Amino acid sequence: MREVAIAGMGLVKFDKYDGQKGRPYKEIYELGAEAITKALKYADMEWKDIQVAYGASMFGGLAVPNQCTSRLGMPGIPITTLEGACSSSQQGLRQAYHDVANGLYDVALAFGTEKIPPGLIADTLSPVWMLMMGFNLPGAYAIGTRRYMEETGATEEDMARVAVMERKNAIMNPNAFWYQAPELTVEEVLGSRMVASPIRFLMACANANGASAAIVCSKDKLKSKAKMVTIAASAHATATYGYNNLGFHFREKVNPNPTEIACKQAWEMSGYGPEDMDVIQVYEAMSPAFLWDVEDCGFCKPGEAAKLLREGYFEIGGKMPANTDGGLMGRGHPTGATGLAQIAELFFQLRGEAGPRQVPGAKIAFNHCSGGGPNALCHVLKR
Amino acid sequence: MTTNGKKQIPCRDGLWSTRISPDEKPQLIGSKCPHCGEVFFPVNPVCVNCQNQTMNDIKISRRGKIWSFTTVMLPPPQWYKGPVPFHLGYVELPEGVRVWTRLLGAEAGGLKIGQEVELDIDVMQEDAEGNEILGYCFVLLQE
Repeated sequence: MREVAIAGMGLVKFDKYDGQKGRPYKEIYELGAEAITKALKYADMEWKDIQVAYGASMFGGLAVPNQCTSRLGMPGIPITTLEGACSSSQQGLRQAYHDVANGLYDVALAFGTEKIPPGLIADTLSPVWMLMMGFNLPGAYAIGTRRYMEETGATEEDMARVAVMERKNAIMNPNAFWYQAPELTVEEVLGSRMVASPIRFLMACANANGASAAIVCSKDKLKSKAKMVTIAASAHATATYGYNNLGFHFREKVNPNPTEIACKQAWEMSGYGPEDMDVIQVYEAMSPAFLWDVEDCGFCKPGEAAKLLREGYFEIGGKMPANTDGGLMGRGHPTGATGLAQIAELFFQLRGEAGPRQVPGAKIAFNHCSGGGPNALCHVLKR
Repeated sequence: MTTNGKKQIPCRDGLWSTRISPDEKPQLIGSKCPHCGEVFFPVNPVCVNCQNQTMNDIKISRRGKIWSFTTVMLPPPQWYKGPVPFHLGYVELPEGVRVWTRLLGAEAGGLKIGQEVELDIDVMQEDAEGNEILGYCFVLLQE
């Protein structure tokens, strides 16, 4: 397998493109095309250079990726549509990576685009009888959260602190939903409306629209090798026995969960470990997930995450800067686009282009993403 | 079963026992693997733990303990027609299976991990023809 570089990435600011309150109206296809155009510009490439594409959308409907790319050109290349819940676009990255690594193609595109319907995210994972009985995604998250709190002693304040940290980071990110918004306080988070106990409104990610794109290629196709970023690992795992369709354990935890499996593979593939990372992204559609994800990824011992968070360990100036662009909480979560937005922040960090969010001297980065199914993907990038 | 002239239809066939004598109470039906002993609810044709290709039906005990719970404050979109707020959770049963369920019989804020609960079958909603749709739930046993 040959080395695969990221030639360019593009993001469309996560926001509401509904045409209301003076906001622009953009179709899901326009968002996707915009992100791809930005990635091409960054890579100094043209649409005709792309040989294969993997597009993702969770709610968009039929053949959304084709509708995005047909606005840019129609060379007849294979365009695959992916849906893997919240990790959709990162699954595309892994496909693109493998195509180039294995010599099938030299230049591959992965992208994601999303316009989430307003209100609570509809659950299309579960059978109708469960929905009639009241099953809902925030409720399922809340049940898993309460169990985590019972087993580790993590508190609602700890969950609120994740939201506060990520808002602080998002304020500095022009592509984030909460860019230039006021800072949050723990009191505000704990005083916000309860969604499903103990999850409160400000512990859940903002409902946003947006798009993201990545162009990967063999090294010889790069227009410039300056500040070259390569993919050192790309891993993907689904649930082993004992986990429900959102990845929460409801049996005694004898088997690893998808995050643990994908992480282990990523460390093995890359030859690195958690201690080697300079900057990381972990997935948290709701703020408590940050705590168990950093533990499951091996950045601290089980039950230790809350204490480290309190000590500033994961802040931009801390020992292991995490979700420096705001994470899902601060960026917003257009589900089909989130995966590559995580990667984009790490890519810009490694190239020294993260502006006020920059982690000085960042050379190796780690990404964790998970989705309903359940599934998890882990990537390691290095400069 | 008819009551008030309306048909009663389970939200899904096969979740609980229905052909029972009048003094017998319904039980949830799961699958038990004859090879590794794992119990699943709802029934599953194969064992997802050890891949055994046959499973046996098992009637699950009616009483268990709350393993985790939540109080849902926002109405779920579309299918749910019951009261809000309402409680959901997992109940741990003696057969070693944990069942996802509605939890009834508690005030908001009154649930705790470890409380004893008992199975009940109730009318959740009516369909377009006026039939009653039944679901299962677990009810808090008062101390």
